[in-house]
Amino acid sequence: MDEARIPQPEDLGDAQETRVEGAGARVLVIDDEIQIARAVRAGLSGSGFVVEWAATGTLGMERIAQWRPDVVLLDLTLPDLDGLEVCRQVRAWSQVPIIVLSVRAGDADKIAALELGADDYLTKPFSMGELVARVRVALRHVALRAGGAGAAARFQTGDLSIDFERRQVTMDGVEIHLTPTEYEVLKYLAINSGKVITHRTLLRAVWGPHYEDETHYLRVFIGQLRHKIEPDPTRPRYLITDPGVGYRLRAPD
Amino acid sequence: MIDIRQLFQQRLALLRAEITPASARAHIRRNARGYSEAIAGVAAASLVIALVRQFTQIANISLIYLLVVLYLAARYGRAPAILASILSFLAYDFFFIPPYYRFTVEDPAEWISLFALLVTALVIGQLTAAVHARADEAIASQRRIATLYEFAQLIASTNDQRELLDALAQRLLAEFAPEGMTACAIITPDTLGHPSVRASAPADHPALRAFDLQVRELAGRAAWVLSKGSPVADSMLVTENGVARQETSLYLPLRSGKRIVGALGVIGGERMRQIAGVAPDNSDQPVPGAARADTPSRDPQAQLFQALCDQIALAIERDTLRQQAIHAEALRESDKLKNALLGSVTHDLRTPLASIKAAASSLLQPGVAWSDEEQRELLESIDESADRLNRLVSNLLDLSRLEAGVATPQLEWYPLQDVLAPVLDRLELSGRVQGRVITLDLPDDLPLVPMDHEQIEQVLTNLIENALKYSPQDTPIEIHAHVIGTPPELQVSVVDHGVGIPASEKRAIFDKFYRVQHVRLPWDPKHPPVGTGLGLAISASIIRAHGGRIWVESTPGEGATFIFTLPIPADRPTGALPPVRAVAGVPTATEPVREAPAPEGAPEEGSDDG
Repeated sequence: MDEARIPQPEDLGDAQETRVEGAGARVLVIDDEIQIARAVRAGLSGSGFVVEWAATGTLGMERIAQWRPDVVLLDLTLPDLDGLEVCRQVRAWSQVPIIVLSVRAGDADKIAALELGADDYLTKPFSMGELVARVRVALRHVALRAGGAGAAARFQTGDLSIDFERRQVTMDGVEIHLTPTEYEVLKYLAINSGKVITHRTLLRAVWGPHYEDETHYLRVFIGQLRHKIEPDPTRPRYLITDPGVGYRLRAPD
Repeated sequence: MIDIRQLFQQRLALLRAEITPASARAHIRRNARGYSEAIAGVAAASLVIALVRQFTQIANISLIYLLVVLYLAARYGRAPAILASILSFLAYDFFFIPPYYRFTVEDPAEWISLFALLVTALVIGQLTAAVHARADEAIASQRRIATLYEFAQLIASTNDQRELLDALAQRLLAEFAPEGMTACAIITPDTLGHPSVRASAPADHPALRAFDLQVRELAGRAAWVLSKGSPVADSMLVTENGVARQETSLYLPLRSGKRIVGALGVIGGERMRQIAGVAPDNSDQPVPGAARADTPSRDPQAQLFQALCDQIALAIERDTLRQQAIHAEALRESDKLKNALLGSVTHDLRTPLASIKAAASSLLQPGVAWSDEEQRELLESIDESADRLNRLVSNLLDLSRLEAGVATPQLEWYPLQDVLAPVLDRLELSGRVQGRVITLDLPDDLPLVPMDHEQIEQVLTNLIENALKYSPQDTPIEIHAHVIGTPPELQVSVVDHGVGIPASEKRAIFDKFYRVQHVRLPWDPKHPPVGTGLGLAISASIIRAHGGRIWVESTPGEGATFIFTLPIPADRPTGALPPVRAVAGVPTATEPVREAPAPEGAPEEGSDDG
């Protein structure tokens, strides 16, 4: 690594321009396999994204600093650096959404990537439709972050809606009574909707660091929450389980 | 195996009884008896002579003393015989040669007969004792040969290696207990090369526990012996009945040819150290002339010890060779398996690859104007084939991981719903459900069950895919889950209403590459089902690794029900996360964090989360 060429957080500034999805949003692919890069570029260009490609972790970080992409697709197995290491280094100076692409299927890798600051992950092979959907979710989160207070006082996905001002949750217009804890969990997932939240992150955010490892109680808790917000709790439509990793609340329509 | 041990115990008892008088203290006791019998014998002989002389005068009546000497030499050996000879000489002079009751002799001719008596007695004593010693030696040597033979017999007739080494250790102890051996242990390197105690005798000797500890905690000594092949002496503190005492522990290499196959640990005294031929200090120089030196010892016990050590080494070596043979056989088997796999997989891999290649190259053909519909068809075929290829590859990887034992389940407590829902979602997403009805019958209160979610997801995927494949389009698939039995198990069944499985094949379908023979689907006779024959084999390995069971119940023609169980241990987590009011620091763009008033009429508010 040439330290001199790594930009510092102040270089990027807060006023990073946010591009609307599809309208020329920039996607950087960091992957050493040219076939994947070519296919991803073809697929995403078709949906109106501008795609660039970097074949190594070092080159990728340089491109993030110089080109300032809106979303980064990061492979975990790179010729020079481990993808997890790239993720960690980038997070030191940039909040750009990172979607990890990997053939590694183990939970540990996914969790490690998410906890190092990756926003999402996709296991290869994946379908192009899935990839486009994930990129859009990531862009929406950037927009939400940049939009400031009041940008979204409500959250709506399918028939489930949350009114953050009044702390009110409704299903198909009918109010659902949640305990304060259930509400906080749902709110945290709604704010991060479409993204996988690891068990650990959710436990830490809602219950505090002492409860980080109480995963099995969280499963019971989520099961109870589902009984309130899911029409069919055995086939959840809103609060989706990513077994071994965490939970994901369905993205707004 | 048990009868061998019993037999052995009996022999042991016999041997102990036979050997014990030969031990040192018994030896002294025996000698003392010899001396007292010498005195008594001479006295008795003198009495007899006195009685006879009352009635008649016999010229060589002193010969009666020789009988006593002869008896003593034969019974007790040299020393009592010499004592008896001298006593006879003195008694004859004292009682029967004038002047009586004095140790002087009047007639010089009597001197001659007196000394003739002494010399004859001494010579007879010596000769008899020598013959007797030789006979004893012959018996001892015969017994050593018998011992060796027994060892060989034991090795030849015992198949179980543990039994064998245990029996050999006990036999060795029985043989050398009279020489002061209190315990012994056979040590061999484990798969990682660390020394470990494989057999020991006696089974519950306090010294042995200390010994085992010494081997395990200070593996250095035994490891050193295993690597360098030189014997080592050490000392250890042994506590027996609350009394601590110092014991000598010896580590001796067991050699088969030039190879060191193990080590023998011996706890015993000075005599054992000599027999084993280990130098008294910790220097690794063997004692000159001892059994362990290159020149064989002249001590017959040391020779026997050496021979028995060689036998033990042989037994270990034999086991090593057998292990290698088993390993080689397993390799051959796995080679055969790999070839079969290669054959099956080549076909299964080639088929989707061929259709991908065909479709892609068609699209790339220059100068062909494909209609939109044709293009779409070709692309769909590529997409489907790629999915199939992906499934096959991950199946193969999973199977090989499971077979290698690498994929031991990473158990975590899951509700079945959390694992089942993603499986159904994925099947739907991949278009494999195709509008089929899948009904779920899961009680709300299903408990958490320890499982490896990835592996159980795979089992569920395999079972549901099978059910979809082997049942007609218009029939539903049912999934039931219940807790049954004591100790409780989660029982999950996947029910289809398809062709079913013949009774004769209910077991074989869980074998690798097995597919139900000649299956034809009545509702779609033109398309026999395709598969790798791996799904159920993988599922069975997974369920077994979880400690559960998997089987199929079926009435041919009416459908099949695949059932698996997962054990629910007693230590399942009870309790819950505590309630929280509002969460600080939740990154939100919408709302400043504040203590929210409870919505009116919410009944849970008071108690919060159950």
